[in-house]
Amino acid sequence: MGADLFSLLVQSGNSLGAQSAAMSVAGNNVANANTPGYSRQIANLAANPAVSALGAGGVGTGVSLVNITQARDQFVERQMPNALAAQSRSQTESDALSALTALNPDLSGGLPTEIGAFYSSLQTWSQNPGDPSLRQNVLGSAQALATSFNQTASAISSARTGLDAAIQGKVTEVNAAANALADLNKQIQISKSAGGESNDLLDARQTAVDNLATLTGATPYTDGAGNISMALPGGTALVVGGSAGQFSAVPDPSNDGLLKLQLNRADGSPPTDWNGSSLGGTMGGLFGARDGALKTAADSVDSLAFDMGTALNTVQQNGFDMDGNAGVAIFQLGATSSGAAAQISVNPAVAANGRLLAAATTTPAASGDNTNALAMIGTQSQALPSGSNPVATIQTIVTAFGTSSAQAQALASHDGAMASNLQTLRDSTSGVSIDEEMVNLTKAQKAYEAIAKVIATASQMMDTLMSIAGT
Amino acid sequence: MRVTSKMSFDLAQAQMMAARDRAVQAQQQVTTGMRVDHPGDDPAAAGVMVSQGIAIQRLDTIDKTTSSAQGEVQTADGALQSVSTLLAQAQQLAVQLGNDTYSAAERSAGSQEINGISSQIVQLMNTQVAGRYIFGGNSDSSPPFDASGGYSGDAAVRQIEIAPGLLQASSIRADVTMKGVGGGVDVFATLSTLSTALANNDGAGIRSAVTGISQSTDQVASALTATGGILSAFDSAQQIGSVAKDSAQKVLSAQSEADIFQATSNLTLAQQSLQASLAVTAQSFNVTLLNYLK
Repeated sequence: MGADLFSLLVQSGNSLGAQSAAMSVAGNNVANANTPGYSRQIANLAANPAVSALGAGGVGTGVSLVNITQARDQFVERQMPNALAAQSRSQTESDALSALTALNPDLSGGLPTEIGAFYSSLQTWSQNPGDPSLRQNVLGSAQALATSFNQTASAISSARTGLDAAIQGKVTEVNAAANALADLNKQIQISKSAGGESNDLLDARQTAVDNLATLTGATPYTDGAGNISMALPGGTALVVGGSAGQFSAVPDPSNDGLLKLQLNRADGSPPTDWNGSSLGGTMGGLFGARDGALKTAADSVDSLAFDMGTALNTVQQNGFDMDGNAGVAIFQLGATSSGAAAQISVNPAVAANGRLLAAATTTPAASGDNTNALAMIGTQSQALPSGSNPVATIQTIVTAFGTSSAQAQALASHDGAMASNLQTLRDSTSGVSIDEEMVNLTKAQKAYEAIAKVIATASQMMDTLMSIAGT
Repeated sequence: MRVTSKMSFDLAQAQMMAARDRAVQAQQQVTTGMRVDHPGDDPAAAGVMVSQGIAIQRLDTIDKTTSSAQGEVQTADGALQSVSTLLAQAQQLAVQLGNDTYSAAERSAGSQEINGISSQIVQLMNTQVAGRYIFGGNSDSSPPFDASGGYSGDAAVRQIEIAPGLLQASSIRADVTMKGVGGGVDVFATLSTLSTALANNDGAGIRSAVTGISQSTDQVASALTATGGILSAFDSAQQIGSVAKDSAQKVLSAQSEADIFQATSNLTLAQQSLQASLAVTAQSFNVTLLNYLK
């Protein structure tokens, strides 16, 4: 093609196309300014190669659109999945632990209050052990204590089964996300072999990667073929290229019937049990709360119920009641501490008859003999099998739970700030600035007008040429 | 740093939510007056709330039971004082009527008086407080002394906890004081002997009974010393308990209560910051190139 008018017209036409493509890109960016995960696109224009003309060196041949690239910061994007996973894990755990109020120190009817009230009733009784109303008082407090244990155990158990319901929901989400990622890998491969990357698919895939990382703590890695695969913490692949593993949740009899995970692997090998607490992200947070601090609290409360009940029963059985008979157990317990807090109740025979409380240590029992009642009070300061006395034990339970909760909150705050910072950095590079796009749009528009002017001028010149020929 | 539209909206939103969160938290502290609600708010403080809360409950109850026991011992003290007065009367009578110038008739009248004194003492020793016999040891549900001064109570001394882990005797042994268990004299037997001697106009018998009455008076005085000691111990215990309770209450308040001035100031700050954040956000939404093109 030479530097003639026809070439000028054709080249200008192509250049118009390039400028209008640039306008389209700017328009697309503006439209997607608020789309999450969208990376702004840049229309890359380049001057066409020059051709030699009239022996006087090269003349340019206009502009064309070379490609449309995305503004992405690989460094930031590589860190995002981990940051999002960490934030989700600690936030989920923090929320789950904050929601349990049964161990609030000031809770009316809570364990600290009722343990104190029970020992107080024993104290008052010891001063006048023959008084039937004081005996009734002790029975009332014993019942309140048993109820408090029952309710605390129930609240913790509800919290754990509530997390189970969330786990079930998340399993469905994880499977969908894994499938979505595998699908996108396939689509991108197809689009590549058809020629060129599809920016929208790349954006969608990055979003899918971030999503799966947020849910499970899986880390992405790029393979040689350009697929993004994801590996669970520990190294096992969840998504490999175009195939995805699937999770399922089944009840685990060794963990009070709560759910455990099973993984059907991406490579087709047989399903295996998967430790939920080893995951990161939301799933890791749910399992971490359920089987961590909440389980510890549940077990400690069970131990306290069992040990305290046993200690009081032992003292009661060493003494003699108002009729001179050996004391019978005040509290009904199971054989072991497992589930003791939910089961503990007052022996109905004793509940119906205050005379059965054994205040005396000799028989026949004098009505004013309070020596066994004093021994019952003494259990308040004696170490239980778990290591500390009842008051110190409930204090430790509350503090330990509080510490786990506070740590999770602190982590959530820290991880949240990290993820937020990274998000800001990512938005800074990949986000759309409306002001910028307006400028780009105007730029392309003016260029378009100018080129149109060139075409008009060339056309006029051609007209002049044509009119020379005459009819 | 390149600032994009979505970024500025996201940041504005995040900051607004954070300002609201702070305002809500500050409000909660001001309304409830409590700094710690959930153990995670301050784990160490929550632990202190548990231990001090129970300690305060215990000290409260100990204070009440000590007061009840104190009432019983005060009554015992009063009864023993009256017994002491009656024994002094008996002493006087014995000394007086020991003089052989008195007639059989006068001595006979004296015998009746001694019988009266004896049954008054029985009544005093069967004193009850709130339905409970205080001079029977642990046998507190029926009168420990019968009409002739026979003792059916036991030899136990009652005890109560006057401070965590510390036991204190809260009764005296009427069998030692009145029946001479452990090497003393039987007060009622002594009075009975005196009464018989008076009725029989037995001058020598009357005079020899004086020794027994004297010993009885000593025994009662000794019991009064014991009750005085118990009451003193109760007093000290209550004072110490009161100090301990105040101190526990202070620790509890320091850990669990919100500093009302700090909380109110935080609330004001949080509310102002929220207002400012809202105003700035609204402003920044208006400023884009779009406003100026065309």
